[in-house]
Amino acid sequence: MTGAQAAGLPTREADSAAASAVKALQAEGRHAEARERYTELVTRHQRRAARIAFHYLRDSAEADEAVQDALVKAYSHLSSFREELPFEIWFTRILINGCLDRIKARKRRERWLVPMPESPSGQRDFAERIAGPGLSPEDHVLGRERRQKLAAALARLPERQRSVFMLSHYQGCTSREVSVVTGLNESTVRVHLFRAIRRLRTLLADDASGVDAGRMKRRVNS
Amino acid sequence: MSGGHLDDGAFAEIWTAAIESRQAAAHPHLAECPQCRSRYAAFVGWLDRIHDDARDEADEAFPPERLAAQQALVLRRLEALERPARVIAFPKFSRPATSTQGHAQRWVAGAAAAGLVIGLAAGQFVDIRDAFAARRRPPSQTAVQTARVNPVTAPVVVSPADTSTVSDEQIFFGDAVQGVRLSSLDDITPRARDDERP
Repeated sequence: MTGAQAAGLPTREADSAAASAVKALQAEGRHAEARERYTELVTRHQRRAARIAFHYLRDSAEADEAVQDALVKAYSHLSSFREELPFEIWFTRILINGCLDRIKARKRRERWLVPMPESPSGQRDFAERIAGPGLSPEDHVLGRERRQKLAAALARLPERQRSVFMLSHYQGCTSREVSVVTGLNESTVRVHLFRAIRRLRTLLADDASGVDAGRMKRRVNS
Repeated sequence: MSGGHLDDGAFAEIWTAAIESRQAAAHPHLAECPQCRSRYAAFVGWLDRIHDDARDEADEAFPPERLAAQQALVLRRLEALERPARVIAFPKFSRPATSTQGHAQRWVAGAAAAGLVIGLAAGQFVDIRDAFAARRRPPSQTAVQTARVNPVTAPVVVSPADTSTVSDEQIFFGDAVQGVRLSSLDDITPRARDDERP
């Protein structure tokens, strides 16, 4: 049980109540109060939105902008929000559409620009990270390596499989919720999730066996 | 299934079904085979690790301070949404330019440009000075004047044979003959002091 599942229904009810209240306040022209009430929704969904945007864009600055845009867009289009749909799903859809637009724009830009040397964007400096409390430097390095491998494997998945996997597994959305967010059929969502897991398993196992083989080779040579 | 045991594809299917039903994984083979059960546990552990890694990575990129700053920015943008757009005058001009002024200025500039173009075009076809001169003079007087030799406008003829014999020294320093020949040109040349006389 993760994310939205763990969050449970009370949060959803609170979301719906807050969204309806903001909508009503906006209609009455009480904008200051509407903003204040909307802050409640922002606080509740900001962290989750940042995670989703970061996993899509793999760039913290761009993810930051995408989240801001989505929150502003949701507020200004709240009049078109239908209460029968959870606010979380409606907002996630706005966010994901924004992220996909940014990815498209980035691809267009990259066609014309000379690629920059790869940098761990959005990540703190290595020295800064290992200086922090908690895990040992070795754990940091291993964790970072593992994340990079996972990110590379995820990047090799087809876009739909990646979206479904991230929403289902990272955000804990059900097939129905994912189908609403992505516009796919529920059974298609399940198939995509299954294929994504199987492919990830293969890709990461290949990587691991490749690394092991490399280590073995080095050991034999030395 | 491979060799009677469950493979990764089957595990993925079982796991997906368990997530959907929000219940523990239920498969007849898992209940019977301890080997597959432990492999399935490892599979679920792998998925959980992926989930935790992804979450940690995103949370590391977005510490609480950054989220607070983001929230402040969002609220500022929401506030800005409600304020009407304002045109700021350029510092040089004390009062902002209105649209009607700009409209009038555009008309004036257009009229001036059109006048200039028409004037230039007309100048190409009509010699205004000749037209005016012809209008001022009566036709009979014009005929007499053209017949009479005008001393002021009479051309000075210098024979080419004479000029060929003139040396460079004569051109530079002058001589009496040259002076006499050029005196007629000198007479018809207006001088500034002539205009100053009352």
